[in-house]
Amino acid sequence: MRQQDQLVRGAAAIVRIGRAVNGLLFVAIAAGLAGTWVSPGFHRDMLVRADPAVDVAAALTGIRFLMLIGVAMTIATDRLLAPLAGVIASARYGDPFVPTNADRLRRIGSALLALQLLDLPCTLLARYWPSLGSAAPAGGISVGGWLATLMVFMLARVFATGSLMRDDLSGTV
Amino acid sequence: MPITVHLDDVLARRRMSLTDLSQAVDITLANLSILKTGKAKAIRFSTLEAICAVLDCQPGDLLSFQPDEPPGR
Repeated sequence: MRQQDQLVRGAAAIVRIGRAVNGLLFVAIAAGLAGTWVSPGFHRDMLVRADPAVDVAAALTGIRFLMLIGVAMTIATDRLLAPLAGVIASARYGDPFVPTNADRLRRIGSALLALQLLDLPCTLLARYWPSLGSAAPAGGISVGGWLATLMVFMLARVFATGSLMRDDLSGTV
Repeated sequence: MPITVHLDDVLARRRMSLTDLSQAVDITLANLSILKTGKAKAIRFSTLEAICAVLDCQPGDLLSFQPDEPPGR
C-alpha cells in the first residue's frame, strides 16, 4: 500500500512537471511560429546558413506547418495531462472509482486520439516536403499509440459501468 | 419509491430493538437503519433470509408494494 502511495505521489509529480514543460514548449513554439512572420529574415538566414541551396520560401512554409502541428500537439498534451492529474489526485486523496474519472478517461482518450491524428500531417510533411531537410519530423504511424488510445476509451467505458455498479451496491443492504 | 419497508412495525410487534436485530443477524446497525428508513436501493436475499429467520416472519411482512400514482391524476 505504501509502495502504491509512492507510485501515485511520483506519478503526480511527473504529471505536474510534464504540464509545466509542455506549457513552456507551447509558449516557445507559438513564439517561434509568430516569429516566422514578425522577423522572417532571421529564419531565412538560419535556413540559408544550414543549407545554401535550400528553397527558402518552401522551407519556411514547411517550418510554419511544423510549428502549427507542434502548437496543436502541446494543446492536445495539456488536454491529456490535465484530466490525468485529476485521476491521480482522486487516487491519492479519495475515491478513484467515480463517474467523474470515467469522463476524465474519455477526455484522455480524445486527447490521445488527437495526438495520433496529428502524426498524419507529420508523416505527410516528412514524405512530401523535401525542403525541410533535417528539420523534417520522423513521421510514421504508431500502432502502439492507436492501441493505447483504444484501450483508454475501453477503460473509460469500464470505469463508467463499474462506478454505476458500485453506486448501486452502495445502497444495497 | 413504491416499495415500503415495515421493519419497524415487525420489530415493534416482536418487542425487539434494531440493535438486538443487528446483533442477531450480524448486519451493521447503520445498514439496518438504512433499510428501516427506506433509503436502501436493494436488499440481498441473504439479508432478507436472516431477518426473516430472526423475526420469524415472511418477506411480505417486511415489504409491501404501493404503485405510484400516474402523473396528471
